[in-house]
Amino acid sequence: MSDVTPDSLAEIYRTTYHALVRFLYRKVWDAERAEDLAQEAFARALVHKPESARGWLFIVAANMARDDARRAARERRHLTLLTAESPESTPALDDAVHAETERAQVRAALEQLTPRDREVLLLWDSGLSYEEIATHTGLARGAVGTTLARARRRLLDAYEAGTKGEHVARG
Amino acid sequence: MSHVDDGTLHAYLDGELAPSEAQGVETHLAQCAGCRMRLEEERALITRAAELLGRAAPPDRELPPLRPGDVRPPVRLWWQVRLPVAWAATVALALGIGMYLGPTVGRGPEPAARADSDHAMRLQPQVVPVTGELAERAPHTTRRGTARTPPAKPPAVPAPAVEADQLERLQAEAQPPAAPAYVRNEAAAAAESQGVTANAAPRRDAVRGSPIDADSAHLVLGAAPLAVPDLPVRGMYRARLIGYSAVVIVEQSLDSSLIIEVINARPAPATRKTAAAPSAALRAADQSVPGLWLEVRGPLSADSLAALRRRLRPLRP
Repeated sequence: MSDVTPDSLAEIYRTTYHALVRFLYRKVWDAERAEDLAQEAFARALVHKPESARGWLFIVAANMARDDARRAARERRHLTLLTAESPESTPALDDAVHAETERAQVRAALEQLTPRDREVLLLWDSGLSYEEIATHTGLARGAVGTTLARARRRLLDAYEAGTKGEHVARG
Repeated sequence: MSHVDDGTLHAYLDGELAPSEAQGVETHLAQCAGCRMRLEEERALITRAAELLGRAAPPDRELPPLRPGDVRPPVRLWWQVRLPVAWAATVALALGIGMYLGPTVGRGPEPAARADSDHAMRLQPQVVPVTGELAERAPHTTRRGTARTPPAKPPAVPAPAVEADQLERLQAEAQPPAAPAYVRNEAAAAAESQGVTANAAPRRDAVRGSPIDADSAHLVLGAAPLAVPDLPVRGMYRARLIGYSAVVIVEQSLDSSLIIEVINARPAPATRKTAAAPSAALRAADQSVPGLWLEVRGPLSADSLAALRRRLRPLRP
C-alpha cells in the first residue's frame, strides 16, 4: 500500500499517525507515551527520509517501544519507593473501571500469544497490509493469513479463558 | 479446487488475496456449503478479534500537529551528554572570540556553527535535564485521574514556529499528487464551516487498497455495498480504517469533474461509550442498512453530502 500513497511525510503523517499510536499503545499501555513515541518516530523520519516510510515508521516504533519498556521497568523500581505511600485517588466511575478491566483482560490475552502472532495481529490491527506485515516480520506473504487466523483464534480463546477464570474466582 | 484453508479465508476476508486467487476462492465457495459456513465463522472470528482489540485501544483523539524535534530523546547519561556539550561550548567560545575580535574574523566560525546546529538541536532538551525528567514523570503520577475522563480535548501543544514552517513546506509538497486527500480536506473544511461537529464521525482517512468487484464487496462486507443510485460507479476499492473490520469505498462521479466516495464500513463493535456514541448516532440516522457505517466524502458542502448520504441504497449488480 505504500506505493499507493505519495511518498511525502505530511501525507503519511496524516494517514499513519493514529495507526502508529494504536500500535505503540499496545506495547507501552500508556496513551500519552504512545503519542510521544509516535511523534518522535515521525521526527526521526523527517531526518532520515526513509524510502518506504510507513514500514520504516513501524519498525522504528517497535524498537522505541522495546527500549521504552526496559527504561520504564528500571524507573518503576525507583518510583515504587516514592509512590508506595501515596493514597489511591478517589474511586473512579463504574464505566471507567469496567473499561479498565476489559482493557486489562485483553492485554492479558494478548500477552499469551507468541511474540510473532502478537506482532502480526497488532500490525494488522494498526492498518498495515499483508505485504507490509511480511516485510516487517520476515514472514512469507503467504504465511501472514495463516498467522493471523491463528492469532485471532488464540486471542479469543485466551480472552474467554481469562474472563471465565475470573468468574470462577469471584463466584 | 480443494477446500479453502483458514489462512486463505482470512486473507480473502481481509481483502488481501490477488484478484485471481480471490476468484478461485469465490468459485469454490459457490459450490461448497461447508466452506461458505466456515467463511461466516471466520468472518465472525475476525469481527470479534477486532472488537476485543478495540477495547484495548488508545483514546480517539484528533490528529495533533506534527511536532518534529520537540520530543525528548531517550534520557542520556552524563558521559554521553558531555561530548556534545563540549562541542557546543567550543562553538560558543569560538563565536564569542570571533565577535570580540571584530567582524572580519567573526565570519569564520559561523558556518561551523550552522553545521553543528544538528548537535545543538539534539542538545536542547539536555540543557534542562531536571525539567525534562519532571515532565516525564508527571504524566505517570497524574494519569490515574486524567486517563478516565473522556478523550475530548486534543493535546494542545502548538508546534514551534520554526517547525511549523517546515511542516507547511511538507504539506505544500503533498498537495499536487494527493488529489483524493485534497478532496477530503475540502469536505472536512466544508463540514466544519457548516457547523457540523468534527467528531460527528471519525475523521480518519481510509487507506485505500486494491480494487474489487461488487460480488466480492458483498462477500467482504456481508451485505451489498451502498451507493447513490443513478450515479455511474467509477470503481470500488478495499480500504482499511482503524476500528472497522471491513471497509469498501465506492467511487462515483456526479459529473465529469466531480467525484464522490461512499465509504461502507463494517465496524468492529465498539464497547467503549466514547467510541460508540458517534457511530450509534449515525446508524440511528440511517435505518437502511443496520450495522454498516456510511459516509459520503467529496468536494461538496456538508448539506449536499448529507443529502447524498440519505439517498444511499444497496448497489444492485
